[in-house]
This record gives sequence, structure tokens and C-alpha cells, in this order.
Amino acid sequence: MQRISVTERPDLASAAAEHELVYIPGEGISGWDESAYYQFTARQIEKDIEGPAEEIEDLCFQVVDRAVNNEEVLDRLGIPEHYWNFIAESWRNGDKNLYGRMDLSYDGKQPIKLLEYNADTPTTLYESAVFQWEWLEQAIELKLIPEGCDQLNDVHERIVETLPQLGIETLSHFACNPDIEDDKGTLNYLEECAREAGLETCFLGMEDIGLNDQGQFTDLEDRVITTLIKLYPWEWIMDEEFGQHVPSSGVRFIEPPWKAILSNKGLLPLLWGMFEGHPNLLPAFFEDDPAGTEFTGTGSYVRKPIWSRQGANIEIVQDGKTLYQSDGPYGNDAHILQGFQPLPEFDGGYPLLGCWMVASKAVGLCIREDKTLVTSKDARVVPHVILD
Amino acid sequence: MMSWKSVPVVLTMSVSLIALTACEEPKVDASIYESIEHCKRDPIVSDDQCESSFKEARSQHAAVAPKYSTAEDCQADFGAGKCEVAPYKSSSGGSIFMPLMAGYMMGSLLGGRRSMMSQPLYRSAQSPNSFRTAENRNVGSKTGRTTVAKSATSRPTFKSSTRSRGGFGSSGRRFGSGAT
Repeated sequence: MQRISVTERPDLASAAAEHELVYIPGEGISGWDESAYYQFTARQIEKDIEGPAEEIEDLCFQVVDRAVNNEEVLDRLGIPEHYWNFIAESWRNGDKNLYGRMDLSYDGKQPIKLLEYNADTPTTLYESAVFQWEWLEQAIELKLIPEGCDQLNDVHERIVETLPQLGIETLSHFACNPDIEDDKGTLNYLEECAREAGLETCFLGMEDIGLNDQGQFTDLEDRVITTLIKLYPWEWIMDEEFGQHVPSSGVRFIEPPWKAILSNKGLLPLLWGMFEGHPNLLPAFFEDDPAGTEFTGTGSYVRKPIWSRQGANIEIVQDGKTLYQSDGPYGNDAHILQGFQPLPEFDGGYPLLGCWMVASKAVGLCIREDKTLVTSKDARVVPHVILD
Repeated sequence: MMSWKSVPVVLTMSVSLIALTACEEPKVDASIYESIEHCKRDPIVSDDQCESSFKEARSQHAAVAPKYSTAEDCQADFGAGKCEVAPYKSSSGGSIFMPLMAGYMMGSLLGGRRSMMSQPLYRSAQSPNSFRTAENRNVGSKTGRTTVAKSATSRPTFKSSTRSRGGFGSSGRRFGSGAT
């Protein structure tokens, strides 16, 4: 694994325009940095990333399998009792999952460590699947990078292939908070994938979803929603007014309800509890657990709320001192403690590996680089190549 | 994270995406009739086919037709005297209204069984000459054999009278992005 400086494509402004991305003169494309790329060997990709990521996925499924039958665990994850059966049934029915992104720490030498699993509402999808791939093709053509460069990037193809296999029979609805361009952009891309797969789609804001007298959800044309592909976290849905109608609504949700267990950072102590010592896991505990109290005694750990996003409300403690603390709106819920595994440093940047899972297969890589140890929404995507 | 200015357009990964713009949507053969009698006058359709496809459309009508909680709202969209009471009640026991079925559409007679699927059609007050599906897709004013956009022939969804909206979205307003 190397970080290699490279000349940017000369026409970045027009590439941004073509993809309707924000371009700031002098700074480049917002959230994107192609002044360097990360290079991996095929062996690193296959043996260190793909293989272990799929193994972690399997461990995660074992956690879900146990959690759905354990009220104490569901309670600890902050999932309201109203949804316990709903989640358990979706797991037992085998409701299919589409995608997720595992955030991993990797330096090219040591085994990858799972930092967290964005299993419900992952983003940077378009950057990974489309924009990064286009960079590879054009950079080879412009002879900026060697001709033999490849990429771990089957994300688009696998999503198009998977969507029609999720049991969607009729019109599928896509919903998110429409005021957030990033969320809307990601969801619109998924919608394009669905159309390419021959599915009929309809986009709407979460706030536009209606409720009819039969307890079903409706769109703005009063059509009953039967499949909802949402970029809206399960914990929000379960907390909101219409949430109580979700279990009896008859809607097929993507991601399925059981993903509420995996997208919760409580997953990390549950994984550690079942597979302590696994080379790809870091020690992790619920803060209010006696083992958690004991763990703080080691003096070095990361404290995370069970629900938070984009690096908010994270605290890093090293040798008893707070090394880093980020603000955010998520501090009020339960917390977990995780072993501190600093991201490796490459030329002043801290790369976080995002491994894309589509239908539980590791099919893509997205590297986000930040200037701090915690990857925030200010991180920039840096492309990668595979070259031996 | 990258920022969108607006809706992204996929330009690189797929040729088929580009080909599938709205104006180039594939057309398929269909037949549109106002009634069974109208259908029976078409020499290429047997009486049996007319009756079974009418029955199929009629049986979907109550479920898939747009629904309104007042007759006035329904008539505003479909015209005076063009609405009826739906066989459903609201949770408070009130009546629900829907437009009268104005005709039906059969798929191509040459296709397989699936393409024979029939569905009810409606006429709006605003463009009373055109037929519309229960999904509000305009399928034109031509009766008998015609061609329609392929997407207009897919099975219509159940429609109901929406009681309330806005029960989702509060966390998004509070926290912003739902992405991780």
C-alpha cells in the first residue's frame, strides 16, 4: 500500500460539471482529491481486504442471529420494544440486504481492523462506483498512471444485478431527507441503477410519505408503497410518529429492518463479545458494562455514541488524556468504548478504507482521507489502484 | 464527502441509461375500449377475450382508482357526475370517492399471457378526450388498436385515501444528513 502523487486530469472543472459535482476554482472538486492515489497489490486486496471483509460480514450475521432472540441485547441497542418482533421476523424471513460500507483501518501490513459498519445508510457510493472508475479509465488514457492499473470496483454492476433479486414486484419508492443534496444525490444514483435494472421507481421525501386508513404508507399520488428504498436511518424511522405503523405496513424495506442491529455501534461490543481476539476486530464494550469501566482503566480508547454519523461526537483518549474530541448532535444516547487503533499516516493524511459490500460480497473500495484521526464530513475521497 | 449540486446523471457506466430517456420510451401494442360492446365490434378480438379482459379491469377498478375523501375533490379532477362512492370506508366511517371507470386497456393480443393483462382507464376533467391509467399515465385518445408507452402497461398499484402526511422526517430536520 503506497500513496503516490499524481498529476490531476487537466479538465477537472468539466468532469465536475458533467457529473454535476461542486467545483471550487483553486480547490478542485469538493470532497475529491486526485492529486494522489493509493496503490495496492492484488494480494493485499484479495487476502487482506476482500477475504476478511466477507468474513466480518459472516460474523455480523451471527451477531444478528443471536441478537434477534435476545431481548436484553435489543434493549441495550436502544431499539424500542414495539419493533423487536418486526426485526426478528425480517431476519427469519431472510429479507435480503442490498449494500453497506465497512470502515476499516489498514496500513498495508497489519490485518484490517473494523472501526464500524455503515450497514444501513452508507454514502460516498457515487464517488466510489462511478467517479473513481472514470478517473481510472481517464488517468490510464492520459498516461498519468501505468496502463496495467485496475480497481476493486464492481459496485455499479453488482447493485444493478442485485436490485431485481430483492423480491420487488411492482413500483419501488425511494425516500430520504430531500433537503440534503448528498443524501438525495446518492439515492438518485441508486434510483438510476434500479431503472437500469428494469424497475419502475418513484422518488419522494420522507416527510411526504402518507398514511391511509388501512395503516399503509402512500406516496403523493396516493399509491400504496410496497417497497421503500430509504436513505434514512432505522433509528430515526423507529423514533418518528409514523414509525409505529411500520411493522404492519406491509412494506418491503431496503435496507431490511434487521440492519438496525448492524448499523448500531453496539454491534462492535457484540462482535467482540462473541469473537474476542479475532484479528480483524478491536476490543469493544458497552460503556455501562462493568467490562467497559475496566477497559477505561487501560487509559486508551475511543468513545462513540451508539448512533452517530460522519465522525460526530467521537472522543479519543490516549494515556488517560483526551487526544481528540468532535462536536455533534448525537451525544445523548448510550456509548460504546473501542480499542484505539490510530489510522496510518501517509504524507500527512489519514486514510480510512471503506469496503463496499453488495449482497454481502466485498466489491468496492473507497478511501477517504482526512487531516485528523477521525474521518469527518470534510474528508476527501482519494482514488485507488491495484497494480503488481 | 463530495457535494451534489443537483441530481446526478450517470454518464459513464451504462449506455442503456442514456438510451432510456422519457421521449424515447419503448412503445408496445395495446387495445383500448370504452365498453364490452365497443370491444366486441372489433373483429380481431373474440367476445370471450372482450369479456374476460373487461372483467379483469373491472375487478381492479375499486382498488387501483385514485381515492378522495370528498365527492367535490373527486369531481374537481374528473368532472361532475364522473365519480362514485368507493367500496371502502375511512377510519372515521366516512365515505371515500373515486372516478368512474371510463374504459379499459388490453395488452397486445400477439404477446404471451402476461401481455394480455387488462387494466381500467379513466378520463380527467382537464383533458376529457384522453384516457389515463390509474397511475395517471396518458395513453392517448385513440380507441381500438393503438400503441402506448411500455411503462403505462404495468400493473397499477392500490390507491387509497391518504389520511395524514408528515409523520416521517422530523429527525432529518433535526440532524440533517442520514448518511454514514
